[in-house]
Amino acid sequence: MDAKSPQLELGFLQFDVPTMIGTILTCIIVFLITYLGARGVQMRRPGKKQLIVEMIIGFIRNMLHENMDRRNAERYIGFAVTLFLFVFFANQLGVVLMVTGTMETDLPSLGLMEGDKVSWFKSPTANMSVPVVMAVAITLFAHVMGIFTHPKTYFKDYLNPMHIIGEITKPMTHAMRLWANIFAGEILIMVLVTVGSPLITGAPLIIWIGYSLFIGAIQAYVFTILASIYIAQKVSPES
Amino acid sequence: MELFGITFMLGMAALAGGFGNSIVVSRFLDGIVRQPEAQGLLPRMLLGIALVEAVPIIAVGVGIFLLIQGGYFG
Repeated sequence: MDAKSPQLELGFLQFDVPTMIGTILTCIIVFLITYLGARGVQMRRPGKKQLIVEMIIGFIRNMLHENMDRRNAERYIGFAVTLFLFVFFANQLGVVLMVTGTMETDLPSLGLMEGDKVSWFKSPTANMSVPVVMAVAITLFAHVMGIFTHPKTYFKDYLNPMHIIGEITKPMTHAMRLWANIFAGEILIMVLVTVGSPLITGAPLIIWIGYSLFIGAIQAYVFTILASIYIAQKVSPES
Repeated sequence: MELFGITFMLGMAALAGGFGNSIVVSRFLDGIVRQPEAQGLLPRMLLGIALVEAVPIIAVGVGIFLLIQGGYFG
């Protein structure tokens, strides 16, 4: 349980190395899946990979059409599919690939000594920075788009000061929801792996791993649907 | 004292999450008993559960974070 997380310091910035590895790995997985699925697209006889990608895009498109008007839904579909795929694979990464190793030599540049336990792979979304960055970026984008689409009526909402509190808590809960779910799931997997005998923790571990996969999918869906709702609130024509 | 506070928070979070989820699921079951065609609302129920679970799980995340920071873990 005393696994360290190697940090890389660059001036006043601090980088978490497993999170960076996980982010790059997730980007590669998402790119490969969409690239292989979209290569050689055919109208008449679609292949299996093409059908999978089309199914994901159709699923997200249905979701967007429920929350937005038609024109905006077609405009934001690329964004929503990217967000869903990234969060989905980022959530599953820590469940499927959790490798904890022991250092054989000193590595002073990362602050590691011989004999330290290091977990090199974990979900990028289990670090608080990644969901906070995504949620704050989505909120900023929604507000900027709101100012551009409704320059006259945008500031009318803020006559009520309670509205400002609502706008601040939105990105907070949006990010914390994703982070806390994935973080708690990973910690519980770690506890079940390291504590006690496998005879006692084996069955709960298998159940919890299945539940974590399910939670990861649900949270990716919820993150995408909330992002689309927050954007739709600002850019929808009637407001 | 700090340990008691954190564990109390975790317990209250579990209690609140259980009650919240029970309301969502029981209303859904009432609905599909009365109207069996409403089974198509299952994804909506799962979305509702995910939204209800958010606040307790945030408490759990913060609690575990405080436990690790306080050195009580491992």
